[in-house]
Amino acid sequence: MTGPPAREVKVEVVGLTKKFGDLLVLNDVNFSVAKGEFLAIVGPTGCGKTTFLNLLSKLIPASEGQILIDGSEADPKTHNLAFVFQEPSSLPWLTVSQNVEFGMLIKGVPPGERERRLRSILDIVGLADCANLFPNQISASMEQRVAVSRAFATNPDLLLMDEPYGQLDVKLRFYLEDELLKLWRELGATVIFVTHNIEEAIYVAERILVLTNKPTSVKAEIHVDLPRPRSFIDEAFIDIRRQVTDLIRWW
Amino acid sequence: MNAALEHPTTVQGLQRHKSPAAILRRLLKNRYVLYLVSISGLLLIWHFSAVNFATSKYMPTPWMVLKELWRIAHENLAGKDLLGHLWSSLHRVLIGFAIGSAVGVPLGLFMALNRYINNLVKPVFDLIKPMPPISWISLAILWFGIGEESKVFIIAIGAFVPALINSYNGIRLVDPALYDAIRMLGANRWQTMMEVTFPAGFPALFAGLQISLSVAWSCVLAAELVSARSGMGFLIILGMTMSNPSMILSGMVVIAVTAYLITVVLSKVEKWVCPWKVELPQ
Ligand SMILES: Nc1ncnc2c1ncn2[C@@H]1O[C@H](COP(=O)(O)OP(=O)(O)O)[C@@H](O)[C@H]1O
Ligand SMILES: [Mg+2]
Repeated sequence: MTGPPAREVKVEVVGLTKKFGDLLVLNDVNFSVAKGEFLAIVGPTGCGKTTFLNLLSKLIPASEGQILIDGSEADPKTHNLAFVFQEPSSLPWLTVSQNVEFGMLIKGVPPGERERRLRSILDIVGLADCANLFPNQISASMEQRVAVSRAFATNPDLLLMDEPYGQLDVKLRFYLEDELLKLWRELGATVIFVTHNIEEAIYVAERILVLTNKPTSVKAEIHVDLPRPRSFIDEAFIDIRRQVTDLIRWW
Repeated sequence: MNAALEHPTTVQGLQRHKSPAAILRRLLKNRYVLYLVSISGLLLIWHFSAVNFATSKYMPTPWMVLKELWRIAHENLAGKDLLGHLWSSLHRVLIGFAIGSAVGVPLGLFMALNRYINNLVKPVFDLIKPMPPISWISLAILWFGIGEESKVFIIAIGAFVPALINSYNGIRLVDPALYDAIRMLGANRWQTMMEVTFPAGFPALFAGLQISLSVAWSCVLAAELVSARSGMGFLIILGMTMSNPSMILSGMVVIAVTAYLITVVLSKVEKWVCPWKVELPQ
């Protein structure tokens, strides 16, 4: 199992329920995330993964239940969180570097520090060459990297990622997953990573939550206690993959 | 090896060059060739119908119109030459457009941002919107006289409507995902408005101003046709009272060219104020 048992709790989800009219999407969801943990959430399409992240970042209100961050009601104005959306969300009128800087600007990071982080992060994700292009001048995968960089640059202590690499080709995906792990270790942030790609989840996460179909609750949790860098052909890796695949056969 | 492979294609290319069908095909691929064909076709048809038909008394040839253009450009017509009249019209347009958009844009923004203002203004606006601006002319003359004010009033009404509609829609139709993106960063209302709402709505707002300006240009002509002592509309009426169709057509040509130039200038301005709308070849 991961680390020492008494890790501090970062996020606590208590009896979370969400209805859209008569449609019950999340049904009494309970779990918690430790400080600095890398948690992956896998679930079938339409089960409410995006809805959950939207609740967590207060973009929409919950029907019942609570989400606590550091013991208080989740709120982007007080908690330092960042969100990488499933859809590209860069601002079309800002250049790549302005987009990456935008999050820091809103969070009030001082100019010198902004400049420093901006340069280092553009280098890391390989966007330095197109820093002055606008979003409609770059490819979809680059745009997604912009969104990731914008989130990372704010030094969030809670990073929410909603199938961030779903649109990207496999090679770039591996590359960005490694970048993500690097940043995670450097920043010590808590990461909640939503995906429907099982291998991706096992590759990056310390723990995986498997969700049921709608109405959704937590079906199982699986600890991934493998050394890094992980390998897809490693026996233990394949073992865990079989375990998860068994859990989701009924999707 | 490479050269040997390339050689035959070059020769073939040269041969294709020589055949008349190939030359034609090449010419047709160049759109400017067709533009030229189109314009000269119009001029030819115009010329022959002007020469051959019974109405030719009132249908001057293109050449006559060109000569007339030269004449009115240098001659005093009721106190002004051609450029003087053009400036009279443009001057009215600029004032009316400035007033119309100075009222329309902020009102549209406030309506989009505040539902009480929206509900208060919308019913009245919906009544005004479908009225052709020129239908105000008689009232405008009674209220303001036949001087500048009545014309400026018509133009301002004409410019006001698209300015309001487009700034309203520009704000209302901002992609909600952009709001999500800034809200999860913890932005307050003011930041959201300044960093997302306005920049995102700006292109639509600007498009509205472009429409306003072209509406203003047709309004000034309509107003001048009804009553004026200067301006392009007045020149056309002058041509009619003097039974000089060349003068009427010259006026129409100048009006069209001016409208075209306004569009060109505005699309240049748009590239300058919204550089992010311009796509680079990948
Ligand atoms: N704003 C909304 N109004 C009504 N239904 C919604 C809304 N947002 C999501 N849903 C529904 O909630 C369910 C979960 O959606 P979502 O969270 O996007 O799923 P996932 O991200 O897991 O694919 C879907 O059935 C979807 O149709
Ligand atoms: Mg989703």
